Amino acid sequence: MEPSLLPIDILDAQQGFPEALAACKDLDGLMRLKGVYIGREGSHSARLMELLKAASKERKRELGGAINVLKNAWEEALKARQSELEAARRQLATFGNTWDPDLPPPIPARGAMHPLNQLIDRLVDVFRPLGYHVEEGPEIETEAHNFDGLNIPADHPARGSADTFYFEKYPELLLRTHTSPVQVRTLLRLAPHIQEKGGIRFLAPGRVYRKDEIDPTHSPMFHQVEGMLVGHDIGMHHLKGTLAYAMKALFGPAAEVRFRPSYFPFVEPGCEVDVRCPLCGGSGCRVCKQSGWVELLGAGLVHPNVLAYAGIDSNIWSGFAFGMGVERIAMMVSQTPDLRLFFENDQRFLKTMGGLD
Amino acid sequence: MLIEIKALRQELPGLCDIEPLALCELLASLGFPVDAVDTSNGATVFEVDVTANRGDVLSHRGLARDLAAKLDMELSTLPVTTLREGAALLPVRLESEACPLYATAILELGKAQGTPSEVQVFLGHMGASAKNLPPVDASNEILHRLGQPTHAFDADTLQGALIVRWAREGEKIVTLDGVERTLTHQDLVIADEAGAIALAGVMGGDSTKVTAATQRVLLESAFFDPRTVRATAHRHNLHTDASYRFGRGADPAMAQMARDLLVQRLEAWAGAKLVGAWTAGAVPPTAPPIPYNQTLLERVAGEPIPRLEALALLKRLGCQMAPEPGCLQVVAPSWRHDLSIADDLAEEILRLRGYAKIPSALPPLEGAPEPLSKDYLKRRQLASKLAHLGFCQTVTYGFVDPLESQEGNPQVDEQAWRTLKNPLGEEYSLMRGTLLRDLRDTAALNLDRGAREVRLFEIAPVFVAQPQDATTPIRECWTLALAWAGETGGEDPLTPVRKVSALAGKSHLIGVLKALDVPDAAIRAFERWPLAGVVGGAKNQLGWQFEVSLEAIPDAADRVIPAFKAFSRFPSVERDLSLLVKLDQGYRPLADAMTAKVRTSAREAFQELRCVDVFRHKSLPEGRQAWLLRLRFQHPARTLTSEEVDGWMASALDVARSLGAELRG
Repeated sequence: MEPSLLPIDILDAQQGFPEALAACKDLDGLMRLKGVYIGREGSHSARLMELLKAASKERKRELGGAINVLKNAWEEALKARQSELEAARRQLATFGNTWDPDLPPPIPARGAMHPLNQLIDRLVDVFRPLGYHVEEGPEIETEAHNFDGLNIPADHPARGSADTFYFEKYPELLLRTHTSPVQVRTLLRLAPHIQEKGGIRFLAPGRVYRKDEIDPTHSPMFHQVEGMLVGHDIGMHHLKGTLAYAMKALFGPAAEVRFRPSYFPFVEPGCEVDVRCPLCGGSGCRVCKQSGWVELLGAGLVHPNVLAYAGIDSNIWSGFAFGMGVERIAMMVSQTPDLRLFFENDQRFLKTMGGLD
Repeated sequence: MLIEIKALRQELPGLCDIEPLALCELLASLGFPVDAVDTSNGATVFEVDVTANRGDVLSHRGLARDLAAKLDMELSTLPVTTLREGAALLPVRLESEACPLYATAILELGKAQGTPSEVQVFLGHMGASAKNLPPVDASNEILHRLGQPTHAFDADTLQGALIVRWAREGEKIVTLDGVERTLTHQDLVIADEAGAIALAGVMGGDSTKVTAATQRVLLESAFFDPRTVRATAHRHNLHTDASYRFGRGADPAMAQMARDLLVQRLEAWAGAKLVGAWTAGAVPPTAPPIPYNQTLLERVAGEPIPRLEALALLKRLGCQMAPEPGCLQVVAPSWRHDLSIADDLAEEILRLRGYAKIPSALPPLEGAPEPLSKDYLKRRQLASKLAHLGFCQTVTYGFVDPLESQEGNPQVDEQAWRTLKNPLGEEYSLMRGTLLRDLRDTAALNLDRGAREVRLFEIAPVFVAQPQDATTPIRECWTLALAWAGETGGEDPLTPVRKVSALAGKSHLIGVLKALDVPDAAIRAFERWPLAGVVGGAKNQLGWQFEVSLEAIPDAADRVIPAFKAFSRFPSVERDLSLLVKLDQGYRPLADAMTAKVRTSAREAFQELRCVDVFRHKSLPEGRQAWLLRLRFQHPARTLTSEEVDGWMASALDVARSLGAELRG
C-alpha cells in the first residue's frame, strides 16, 4: 500500500500509536485511547470511514483494504493491551484480598496476679496434699488474740505502741502483728470438735502490720503465711518432715532444710528453719551470703500454754506451728532489690513478677 | 552481743583448737547465729544474735558455759578469792521485792594507776571506750566477761543510808548521760537519804558518779527483777548494757562473786584498800523443780533417747536432779530463768544433741481434710479471671490519708472510729473505707510513668465502723475494685486507638464486671465511675473505676459440673431492626418494653434482644440517632415460620413506635 493513500494526520496517528498504547497504565486511559482511535464518532477510524465513503469507486477498493489493515491492527493492539491491564487489575485485587500474617497481630491484654498473692496461692497448693485448708482472721485484732493467747508476756516490747498500731477509740484493738492470732481463733473454734475432727491442720495467710518505717527492707504492712497442725504425739520430726516436703515442693527436689534452735514465746521447742539456697544450690552466693543456706521461717512445737488457752489438753494433743514472711521469700527468690516495689504497683513490675497462673 | 574470741577462749580453753568459722557453725547450732565477724582491730570479734529468753549467755562466760555443755568441756576456774564480809558500814534497806539481793563494798582508792592496757583494748572491742577510771572500766569489763552488771558510786557523795525503793511519782534524777528524768512509782531506784541516785539496773546518777577526783567508792552488785528493769528502760527509752542483761535475767548467784572480782581488780589496778564488804538481802529462792518426763522427751524428739544420755546432758547444763518417789525432779541452775516446764528440758536436750539429729517424718493424717473456704476460693478465682482479662492485681497498704478519703465519703465522724492512735504519720492514719483512692493513685502513677493503658484491680478488706456493735466495732469487708485508664488499642493495624476515658469507655469496664458475674443491680447502684486524678501535674479524667463488695459476687458453684440444661436443636432466627430514636432515649426502657412485649407473644421462642450498633451522624434527622437492634428467636421444639417471626418483629416495632422511635428508612 502506498502511504500517500492516507492523509498525513492519520499517518501521524499511526506512527504515534505504539507509544500512546504503551503510555496507558490503566484501563481508563486505555478506554480514552480506544475512543480516539476506533471510537464510533470522531475517532481516527470514523474519519477514515468518511474518507472511504467519499472516495471514488476505483479508489474505494484500494483504500478500503488499507483502512481495514490499519483498523484491525489498532483493534488487536488495544484488545491485547486491555487484557494485559485487566490481568494486572485482577492481580491487584488478589493482593488486596490477602493479609500479611507477619503484621503485628492484636494480642489479648495480659494482666497479672500480684506476685505476693501468687506465692501465697502456691503455698496453699503445696500444703493442700497434706490436708491443710485455709483459715483466715481479721486484720483488726484484740490484744487477747494477738498476744495473750500466744503466751506473749504482758510486758513484751512488741506490745508497745512503738511496735504495734492501736486504735484511737478502742484501746483493746490493734492491727495484728502476725498471722498467729488465727491460730488462737481457730484453736478456740475447733477445740470442742477436735476429737471428732481427728486434730487440726491449716494454713493461715494474710496481711499483717508492724510499726516499721518504709524503706527498702521494711514495710508497715506485709504478708505472712502461718501453718499449724495439732494431733496425737506430734514431735519435732513431724515438723521437719512436713517442712522438708514443702520446701521440696516449692523449690524443687534438691531443697533441703536445716533446723537451728531459736525462741518464740508460742512454741517450745522453737527453731529457725533454713533451706539450702535455692539460687546457688548451696555452693554459696550473694543471696545466702556464701553460707549456702537462707533463713526462711520460724517454727516449733505449739507451746502447752497456747493449747491450754484454747482449752485443749496438752497431755493428749500436741502440735507444731510455723510462720513465714511472704515478702521475704518473694524477694529472696526473685532477687527484687527493694521491698517497696511490691507495694508501688508499677504495671511493668507486676507483669514481670506476677503473671497468670 | 559482741564476743571477742580471745576472751571467750580464756573462759573455755578447749575452744583454742576450734577455728573461728567452725565456731560460728557451732554457735548457730546452739541457737546463737553469728551475724557478723569483725577482724579489723587485730582481734576476732563476733556479733552474736541471742534470743530474748537467754539472758544467761549475754557474756563471754555465759556463752562459754553453753559451749562447754555442748562440747562437754570444762570452763576455766574464775580467779576469785571470796571476800570475808563484815558488818554493814552503811545501812542498806531493800524496800522492794524487785531487789532481793544487794552486795556492796567500800574501798579507798590509792594513787590512781589506771586501767591495764589489755582491758582498755578489750573494752574497745566491746564497743565501749575505756574511761581510764578503774572503777568504771573494771565494772564494764566484768559486765562483758561475766554478764553481771555492777556499779560504782563515789562514796563521799552519798548521804546517809542506801535505800532500794520505788521512786516517788514525779521524782527527778539526772542520769549519767546528763538527762534529767522524771520517774514514776513503777521505777525502781537506788536512793540515799537525799533522793534517787541511780535507776536500778539501768543507769547510775550523775551526782554520785565516779570521777578522777573520787577517793572512796561504794560498789553495787545486785539482782534486780527483769520485768521492772525492762519496764523502766522502756519507759525512759534508756537501753543500756546493764538494762539489757538485768532485763533478760541476770544470775543472782553471780552478784557476790562479781563484787569480789571487782574489788580484786580495784586493788590491783588502783591500789585500792577494802574498807568493808557486806550484803543486804539474800539470793532469791530457785524456781520450783521441773518434773522430768521421758515420754514427752521422746515424743518431742521423735525417737528414743536413753534416759541416762538425757540426764547427762541436763547435768552438763548445770541442772541438778532431785529424785523423788516416782518422779525425777530437775532443778534448773540459777542462771537459767527460761527453764520452767518439761518441754523446756526436752528442747535443751535436743539442742545439745543437735537439731540436725532430729529425724524427719510426715505426721499421719488423723482426720479428713477440710475443703478450702469459699471466700478464699472466690478471691483466688476472681484474681485469676481478672488477670486473664488483662488486669494487674495491686497490693496497697490498708491505711490512708484521712483528708483525701473524704471526697465521696463525707462522714468525717464515722472516720474517727477507724483512726489509728499511733500511725506512722498522718497520711497513714485512717483504715480505709474504700480501695478506689489507692487504685486511682496507682493508675495515675503508672500513667505518669508513661503507661499507655492501665488496668488494675485490688482485692482487699475495707473497714466499716459500726460503733454500736460492741463485739465487732470495725467490720472488715472484702472488696474488689477495678480501674481502667489511658487509651486502649493502637498497638496493631486491626485495633484502633480508643480513649478509655471517653464516655463509651465505661462500657469496657461494665463488660468486665459482667464477665465476673457482678449482678446488674450492684453495677447500677454504683455511683463513683469516673476515675480522675493528677497526671503530669494536671487534673484529668483518666478512665473508669468500680468497687464492689465480694459478698455481692456469687460464690463458685457447689457442683463440679452444673446441672444439665436442655438447649434447642432447631434453627435460630436473627432479625435486625434499625430504629431512629431520640438522642435522649434511654436504652434500657426501650429494650425492656420491647422485650416484655415480644416475650408475651413469642414466649419460649424469644431468646434475646440487644443493640449491636449505635450510629450518630449529621446525615440523620436532627435530634435523632440510629440504633440497630438484633432480636434472636429459637423455639425449643420446632422450626419457626417466617410469618410468626414477622409478627413478633412487627409487635416489637409497635412498642418502639409507641415510645417515639421510628423505623429508619
